[in-house]
Amino acid sequence: MDSFFVRYRNLLVLLAILLVQIVGLAVQVRRVSTGRYSLDPNDDSGVRLIRLWADGLVSPPERAIHNSRLAIFYLWTNYFDLRQVRKQNRELEQTIDRLRLEQAALLEDARQGQRLQALLGFREKYIYTTVAAQVIGSSGSEQSRVFYIDKGSKDGLKPDMAVITGDGIVGKVRDVFPDSAQVLAVNDQTSGAGVILETTRIRGILRGNADGQLMIVGILADERIKPGEVVLTAGGDLIFPRGLPVGVVQKVVRDPDRDAFIDVMVTPAAHLDRLDEVLVISSTEPRFSPQEQKDIDTSQSDAESIEEQLKASQINAEKLPGLDNGNATPGQNAANPAAAPPAPKLLPTLHPDRFSPGAAPTPPGSSPAPGQPDSSAPPKTQANPAQPGSQSGSQSGSQSGSQSGTGRNP
Amino acid sequence: MALLSADTRRDLEIHRYPLVVYLLVPLASLVLQAWLPRVLGRFSWFDLPLVVTIYFALGRRSPIQGTLMGAALGVFEDALSHHAIGLNGIAKSCVGYLAASVGVRLDVENFTIRLLLNFLLSLLSSAIFLFVYRVLLGVELEWSWLLQLYIAIGNSIIALVLFPVLDRFQLRD
Repeated sequence: MDSFFVRYRNLLVLLAILLVQIVGLAVQVRRVSTGRYSLDPNDDSGVRLIRLWADGLVSPPERAIHNSRLAIFYLWTNYFDLRQVRKQNRELEQTIDRLRLEQAALLEDARQGQRLQALLGFREKYIYTTVAAQVIGSSGSEQSRVFYIDKGSKDGLKPDMAVITGDGIVGKVRDVFPDSAQVLAVNDQTSGAGVILETTRIRGILRGNADGQLMIVGILADERIKPGEVVLTAGGDLIFPRGLPVGVVQKVVRDPDRDAFIDVMVTPAAHLDRLDEVLVISSTEPRFSPQEQKDIDTSQSDAESIEEQLKASQINAEKLPGLDNGNATPGQNAANPAAAPPAPKLLPTLHPDRFSPGAAPTPPGSSPAPGQPDSSAPPKTQANPAQPGSQSGSQSGSQSGSQSGTGRNP
Repeated sequence: MALLSADTRRDLEIHRYPLVVYLLVPLASLVLQAWLPRVLGRFSWFDLPLVVTIYFALGRRSPIQGTLMGAALGVFEDALSHHAIGLNGIAKSCVGYLAASVGVRLDVENFTIRLLLNFLLSLLSSAIFLFVYRVLLGVELEWSWLLQLYIAIGNSIIALVLFPVLDRFQLRD
């Protein structure tokens, strides 16, 4: 027996190591409800420690290399910058003056936009807080398009935060370590983002292929989709805010697996292969400055008062005579005009008198003889509050609501 | 290809290195593999941990050591990616074992053999990775053999430069 183990020692060691790793894989992979197998990204607690070790092993040297490279680069560029600094300074001062004017105009526009959004009850998510980070490394594997940034949980980063650049979206935070974080790029095969085509408004899911190209999948064949169309985030994935640039349509190809569907190849707006600095969106909740919040509150109170005035005007308009319904009773349902039921249409009275609905109150001294209709009185007139006794019970009960309206009539 | 008899095999020199080389070279390969793609962009067609695994397996001519080094480097590579841990570990364990086994039988000082071995073992590593991913785990994965071919060529070219450099660190009696 000993000779067996000695003779096949090498092979047995290999088999033992393979077995351990296969068991480890079996623990990590789960069968999902659709019957397929998947690497559950939310259940990596068992392997988190090894990822932490790997990050702790690789990140410090990477950070050192990155910082050294930056230091050399800045040293070199600063030397050349100094040579022409006076000329550049003059040019920059002129540029600053021009930009200040432009900034003032843009700031005013932005404030106006925020006030208008608040007035309209605009509830779309906008980016308000970002964390700038440097890219310090990658996974080094073509099958895993992830990269590492130099900000982590100490800087407030959490999983599933969106990562962008000024050009467009880049990816989302996957694993967060104390001083660094792993970001899954949008061109990875396992990545997914909801996108929308700007002009055709067709929605789809963005992911990467084996070559690291971006493609939108799950779109029915549509001839309106043309190369050059802008692709934006749709905002439905709860990671990327709506309206961020993704890229432009490069070409449309048929889905090899499904006849009726197409794949839209997208040229990314951000340079995914050459990332240096990125922004992590740490909050999408609206956060205005105190002054801006004060302006918004003022605008809201103004809007409410305007709305009340409009409502009051609407109530008055309903009470005005001869506008739309001849049988409408003055002051009817004045407290809630929107909920008022339609007034029943009464049959015309054969012998109207002053008690008939819609009959005009008669001023003292000008009452016609009993049994004779008052032909001079208009058929629809406003009730006279000075003679409450002349109204029916239901009419007199609604008079209090009509006081403000009648008081304004000339 | 220079095949060796059993007698010559015993006479083959087993390469020995300072401990610091055993520690720093694999670590440097991991760090550079993670950092260089940032500089080279989409043209990062190489797998430095695999090249280092093959080098030490060929030099040490010990299948156990080759397996262990391949497993360790592969597991750390997996830990840096977002895939399950063990995919690269299994692939590089097999490659380390095979490289050491082949190293006993071949004259691995020959540049042509080194080039060919790196190329073939790189493709084998990719094939094992794909097999484990798709067949053993049953997870969908798009695959580009053209890209793997570029990586195999890149590994061979790097090996041509790196192996003589690392040979300089050998301990001589």
